[in-house]
Amino acid sequence: MDLLTGLFSTAFLAGGVLALAALGEVLAERVGVVNLGAEGLMAMGAITAIATVTATPYPMLGFLAALAVGALFGMVFAAATVWLRANQVLCGLALTLMGTGLASTIGRSYSGMPARAVFERIEIPLLSQLPILGKALFSQNILVYLIYIILPIALHYLLFKTRHGLNLRAVGENPAAADAAGIPVNAIRFAYVTAGSALAAGAGAYLTLAFVPSWSDGVVAGRGWIAVALVIFAGYRPIPAVLSGLLFGLITALGFVGQARGWPVAPAVLSMLPYLGTIALIIVPVLAWQRMRRVMAAPAALGEPYFRDVR
Amino acid sequence: MIDLRTLSRRGFLNMSAAGAAALALPAGLFRAGTASAATLPAVAEEDAVIGFGHVGPITDEGWTWSHHQGLLAVKEAFPKLKKVIEVENVPYSADATRTYRQFVSEGANMIFDTSSTGDFLHEVVKRAPEVAFMECDGHQVMDNLGWYYLAHWYPTYVIGVAAGHLSKTGKLGYVASFPVASVFCSTNAFLMGARSVNPAATLQTIAINSWFDPQAATQAGTALIDNGCDFLFGIMDEAGYLQVAEQRGVWAAMWNTDIRRYGPNSYVSSVIIDFKKFYVDQVGKRLAGTWSPSETLLQMGSGVDRDVWGAKVPADVAKAADAVRDKIVGGWSPFTGEIKDSTGTVRIAKDQKMTDTELYTWDWSVEGVSGLTS
Repeated sequence: MDLLTGLFSTAFLAGGVLALAALGEVLAERVGVVNLGAEGLMAMGAITAIATVTATPYPMLGFLAALAVGALFGMVFAAATVWLRANQVLCGLALTLMGTGLASTIGRSYSGMPARAVFERIEIPLLSQLPILGKALFSQNILVYLIYIILPIALHYLLFKTRHGLNLRAVGENPAAADAAGIPVNAIRFAYVTAGSALAAGAGAYLTLAFVPSWSDGVVAGRGWIAVALVIFAGYRPIPAVLSGLLFGLITALGFVGQARGWPVAPAVLSMLPYLGTIALIIVPVLAWQRMRRVMAAPAALGEPYFRDVR
Repeated sequence: MIDLRTLSRRGFLNMSAAGAAALALPAGLFRAGTASAATLPAVAEEDAVIGFGHVGPITDEGWTWSHHQGLLAVKEAFPKLKKVIEVENVPYSADATRTYRQFVSEGANMIFDTSSTGDFLHEVVKRAPEVAFMECDGHQVMDNLGWYYLAHWYPTYVIGVAAGHLSKTGKLGYVASFPVASVFCSTNAFLMGARSVNPAATLQTIAINSWFDPQAATQAGTALIDNGCDFLFGIMDEAGYLQVAEQRGVWAAMWNTDIRRYGPNSYVSSVIIDFKKFYVDQVGKRLAGTWSPSETLLQMGSGVDRDVWGAKVPADVAKAADAVRDKIVGGWSPFTGEIKDSTGTVRIAKDQKMTDTELYTWDWSVEGVSGLTS
């Protein structure tokens, strides 16, 4: 396998975790709710997936079970932050602590076992013959296609091309105005926070069923936090969120390939690459094009609970 | 009394200085007082409290799991112990000091720190002269503090010999954590073993800046294989790169425990660690009142060893490697000059034998190792 193919192949595989979690976060933040529980949701998703494939040999079932558990936790979080209007940051941190703690407790009986079933590679005819990208993107497992092709396009269409998407964004920008226009603010928030949480848990399932096929305590290793950061970097848009996940995966892979090839750069610098890259990519476009500030701006009501009587 | 509401900056500084002086004084007095203490008085088994602080979770199937097995052995050997305290995931921070202080206040007679927390532990050691402390991978001895570690370089050398036979490309890969002595020693011993068979062998390392990060280890393993390595070794607490090796059809050797089920076709062996006998022995000495701070390196065959060879390892390779193992157990040291470092400078002169201390504090790479710089 040549250098570029190997590089892209691991980048797609590793970036998928971040991309899927970031997509979930985009949904929640677009309706105005910061969900810092991504890390905990990913841990819950990861252990749910492993527990499921230990019982039944169908990885898809494991993935769906993780989505369901994520949705369940998402509902609890949404109930607290949307209906009860509790502080979103604190609830998110509580969700992370609870999720990682619960996952490691449940995980005790599952650690030290390889996953019994994993998502196998599916080669897409013709496309997998393409140079470089063919092997890297089109001979991966089904979740990779879902994360990089189907979901971002679907979500982009939903958010920016439909009436419903406009309503959804209005809820995140100005809930009072949306409310006045007859949009059910709390119901929309509740639904999309739940959906976003399900995707975050799905990212955990992807981790244990497709990337590192086993459970071990701490397997998420802070990727949930990086996903939250990537959403800001991606300007709260689904396609850039996925691309930034891929970019992050690519830069990380570059660090490893650099070490493997013995490039004359200190390993510490190569390990810093993803973070240096992120900083550069956030700062440069904003400095270069004034317009980017508006495009990259956060939803105006992000993090604020909505009280109908306080306008 | 100082009024905290109107406290000025100067007032605060004065107060802190006074506080610091008050803290420093008793510490100085106490050190002079205990300088002569050699052993601690015996403790009845029914009254004894033993504490274990771990760096990771006991379910890690690796380092911490092995120490937990030691704890279970202690419980079995001394069933009447009043209490055995165990805390997992002790961070390398001031929280470690808090954890070990808690052990002391719960009446611990002996405390094992299973992954050196250094100064964070020593803070507590100095203030609890009646408690025996043992620090794994420590470097310092005090009146009530000893350290223990494994001479892991010998089984690593043996695995290296097997790698020299098994690797077709002569390019070996290593998933490293940080550029610390344990890692230098491990990479060096591994390549020296391989070079004893194939003098052209080279070792490429990738440092992932963690002892436990399955995602990074998976990526690192993939990058090494993509770059032509056909034998992976590393110093990780999980099986990430073994699963990659299995998938890609190359060899892999591991650390800590037997985890061949993650890659039955790729698994060659592991540096297997076993603290059971050592812990039982240490606790026994503490109870009998004969414990004194010691520096212990568990040797190959008694605490650290290579694992039973993997199913796909040819019998003649296993035999050749085991012959080297027997030679080492018999007293021969493979770490004898002349040894050159990665820049080609002779570091160990011809026929000079490296001492255990030199091996334990190894901080340079031998010729042929690339990617690891201190």
